[in-house]
Amino acid sequence: MDRSFDILHFAFLSFQSSVVTRVNVAFGVALVSMLMCHPVLAQSSPQSVTDLVAKDHPNDVGTTLDVSWSLSPDDDPDADPPAVSTYHILRKREGDAEFTKVGEVPLQSTSFTDKNVERKQAYLYQVVAVGPGGESAAVTTTEAATPVMEWFRTDRGWLAVFVLLICTAVTTFIVIAKSGRELYIRNIPGLEAVDEAVGRATEMGRACLFVPGIQDINDIQTVAGITVLSRVASLTAEYGARLEVPTARSLVMTTARETVEASYLAEGRPDAYRKDDIYYLTDEQFGYAAAVTGTITREKPAACFYMGTFYAESLLLAETANGVGAIQVAGTAEPAQLPFFVAACDYTLIGEEFFAASAYLSGEPIQLGSLRGQDVGKLLVAALVLIGCGVATWGSVAANTELVGGEMAASLMSFLQDNVLGSKGFLP
Amino acid sequence: MTKLNPDQINVILATDCGSTTTKAILIQKIDGQYRQTFRGEAPTTVEQPVADVTVGVVNAATEVGELAGRRLVDESGKIIRPAKPASDGQPPEGCDIYISTSSAGGGLQMLVTGVVREMTAASAKRAALGAGAIVMDTIASNDRRKPHEQIQRIRELRPDMILMAGGTDGGTVEHVVQIAELIAPAKPQPRFGSGYRMPVIYAGNKEAAKYVDETFDESVELTVVENIRPVLERENLGPARDQIHDVFLEHVMAHAPGYDKLIDWTDAPIMPTPGAVGDILQEIAKARGINVVGVDIGGATTDMFSVFDGPDGEPVFNRTVSANLGMSYSISNVCAEAGMPSVLRWVHFDMDERELRNRVKNKMIRPTTIPQTLEALVFEQAVSREALRLAYIQHREFATTLKGVQQQRTVGDTFAQQKSGQSIVDNMKLDLMVASGGVLSHAPRMEQTASMLIDAFEPEGITELAKDSIFMMPHLGVLASVHPQAALEVFEKDCLIYLGTCVAAKGRSKPGKRCFTYEITGSTLNERGEMSFGEVRLFPLGLGETARIVVEPARGFDLGNGPGKRVEREVRGGTVGLILDARGRPLIPPEDRAECRRTVKEWSESLKLYEG
Repeated sequence: MDRSFDILHFAFLSFQSSVVTRVNVAFGVALVSMLMCHPVLAQSSPQSVTDLVAKDHPNDVGTTLDVSWSLSPDDDPDADPPAVSTYHILRKREGDAEFTKVGEVPLQSTSFTDKNVERKQAYLYQVVAVGPGGESAAVTTTEAATPVMEWFRTDRGWLAVFVLLICTAVTTFIVIAKSGRELYIRNIPGLEAVDEAVGRATEMGRACLFVPGIQDINDIQTVAGITVLSRVASLTAEYGARLEVPTARSLVMTTARETVEASYLAEGRPDAYRKDDIYYLTDEQFGYAAAVTGTITREKPAACFYMGTFYAESLLLAETANGVGAIQVAGTAEPAQLPFFVAACDYTLIGEEFFAASAYLSGEPIQLGSLRGQDVGKLLVAALVLIGCGVATWGSVAANTELVGGEMAASLMSFLQDNVLGSKGFLP
Repeated sequence: MTKLNPDQINVILATDCGSTTTKAILIQKIDGQYRQTFRGEAPTTVEQPVADVTVGVVNAATEVGELAGRRLVDESGKIIRPAKPASDGQPPEGCDIYISTSSAGGGLQMLVTGVVREMTAASAKRAALGAGAIVMDTIASNDRRKPHEQIQRIRELRPDMILMAGGTDGGTVEHVVQIAELIAPAKPQPRFGSGYRMPVIYAGNKEAAKYVDETFDESVELTVVENIRPVLERENLGPARDQIHDVFLEHVMAHAPGYDKLIDWTDAPIMPTPGAVGDILQEIAKARGINVVGVDIGGATTDMFSVFDGPDGEPVFNRTVSANLGMSYSISNVCAEAGMPSVLRWVHFDMDERELRNRVKNKMIRPTTIPQTLEALVFEQAVSREALRLAYIQHREFATTLKGVQQQRTVGDTFAQQKSGQSIVDNMKLDLMVASGGVLSHAPRMEQTASMLIDAFEPEGITELAKDSIFMMPHLGVLASVHPQAALEVFEKDCLIYLGTCVAAKGRSKPGKRCFTYEITGSTLNERGEMSFGEVRLFPLGLGETARIVVEPARGFDLGNGPGKRVEREVRGGTVGLILDARGRPLIPPEDRAECRRTVKEWSESLKLYEG
């Protein structure tokens, strides 16, 4: 608009000057004629879109419709100014009287996705091309479109294949485990050392200290830590050793108390359970670290367990307990803290080992089967990564040399990227 | 007991009073060297009607004396000492020292206790076994038995003595006293001498000693010695073992029929037979700086001894008794535990399983029978392989590094965290295997003894094989406490019969693939060649002969210097020779029965096991 105004203003000034200066009359006439022939100045409404169709969006839950059309013949992005600037999309329920605008898309667009429709409701759409010259005549869909929910997303077939494979593996291993066949689970020295650590505390007549991390109970690592606590409590009950659990969150304290009490009960030693040995200190990270460190220095526990989420306090605790001669077993999935634990503790459960503790310790068929099934999934992913790397390397080398199969590698790579790893596979 | 200058000892009489037989040997100094010269035996006379162990000793000594032409027993039935040379037409008489071991009446039977089964209780068990005892049971706080069950068990057993351990010095008092409170009301009765008090050796937390003492009444004779685990990082078995020997003599032996007299006769304390065997093996391991495994397979039990370097480089002695693994009374248990298919895999001809079961039961109810046919012999030796294999597995599980010890780690250990309590028994480091016991010592051919040892123990690298000629090790064990040099000389020259050397590669491959190449050079044996996986070969290398062998293993095979690394060693010959074993480790015969028969037949032909 601003540009059109500038042109008109310029034209008026030029005409005024032509009156004043007769020398330029001929030139002025010519200029005005030229300007009058300019499309802006000769504005008219753009022509309508054609082939307007609305249909159900595939592979959704039935709340989306796709509207598509062919461009208005006046939609030319190179025109200056373009005759069509936007397309307005209007919608009405079948049977309603009036259309309401539901969106607009810029020039050169030929589709619109309406994500705000009701399932099983028929809709009619109109598309209007809008330009500086006004609006085109509205074009209405000839057939009403009804959104429908699909049960299966056929575009995520590869994901379905992988999910099926992993589920089958999990189920198969659960069935195998339930049938009584022994499933091989790699030895995790850190978990086996729990017996040894509690034994040491018993022989030395000292306590076992269990630190369940500094996060709340909604943290998955804290939950995994509580699983190990259950095992530690069973052993302290069996050996007759004392167990102390300082916590940094009140909810963790409650959970820990219930877990330990259940373990003592299961071992037939409810009398040995001491509620007050499982206590809350503070939510404050370093306040908690200072309190636990003080406990370690004063009471000199013979066995310390750190199972959960740890940050800067990891080395403070582990070094202090190492100094008092305790056997220490740590477990965390915090990569930054693992080196500290490995260096200062006797045994460390690393990431996945920590999460596998529950299945490893309980030996229940369902948990063991799940663990093995998940391993199959991880193997599958690792195999895909290796295959992908191999194919990509092959394709890259073949492109720069005379190595055969370059094209095949490239097509395999694009298949992997588009299907297995792309939107049809793992990536959304 | 008179103390003699070792240089003045020229004639030694040693007896071993077994449950059924009393064996006597005579050791004499000949040309400056001690040699075992004569042996004799007589029935043991502990039981009624004689009820005097010295009668059997005198009978055995008399037999030796008659064979040696030396009067060893005087008219009053006593052993003559010191030795006198022949004079005035009289034969030489007497001996310079007389020593004895005893396993009569079931040997030394003990009950041990500790706080944690894998820590102080395991140390107590090691001390008791090392002293030559049979451990009847181990009571611990975590043995998963209720207190009333533990008391019941203590009441049922009639041990010769009890060894109590538990707690480090300054450690738990509560648990130790709790165990004492189980023993006190149980009032265990000693096996011999109903009139005397049950000996209890306390080797636990020194701070708990007075409370333990207060717990027991006068029915118990409590002795307190140094803590067996003063700290969890260190074991201190010596004082407890010495005390076990003392109590064995003062209480157990003194109450056994005739032993009071025998104790007076001997010039060194009477030792339990297995304890003496352990001592001589430790002595030989120390003298030669080698790792040794010894085995004594009997009718009811199998004793396993080992001396291996511990984590600190010091030799560690371990002994286990596999109570249910034997060749007659326990043969059924061997077959049940190993499974008949496992036994049959060592049999190279078709055998009906029903017939085998009949053989097993016959052997069990008639324990003194010996095989009359080749089939029976092959089967018995197959059972022995499995019995030895199972006993060795038990031994490896028992002979471990200490548990409950703090570990030192670096970040490099992230993915290689080793748990403590690893077995110290390493077949690759094993230098000498010594076999004894009927089925091994009395096999018709020495090759069979060697084959049984190799198949059951699966030695790796280069290992010497030997057998105890006449089960002389117990005698030499006691002798070692008096005259170590004499004991070692006799052990090397007369006790051990060297069968030869086994050169075995660790690793597995496909049959027919190259396992290792060898080059043997010696005065009587010069060979070179290649061994394929699955092969075993025997080369003649006689007693007293040696040869130099250079072995180049294929990739993935190890003979001691690491996978694929060349090994060069001098090997000792023997009555069997030099055995090159490329059957791989672990040794797994084919699963298919027909294939297994064919393979085992090839092996037995290569080793000339049942020829002629």
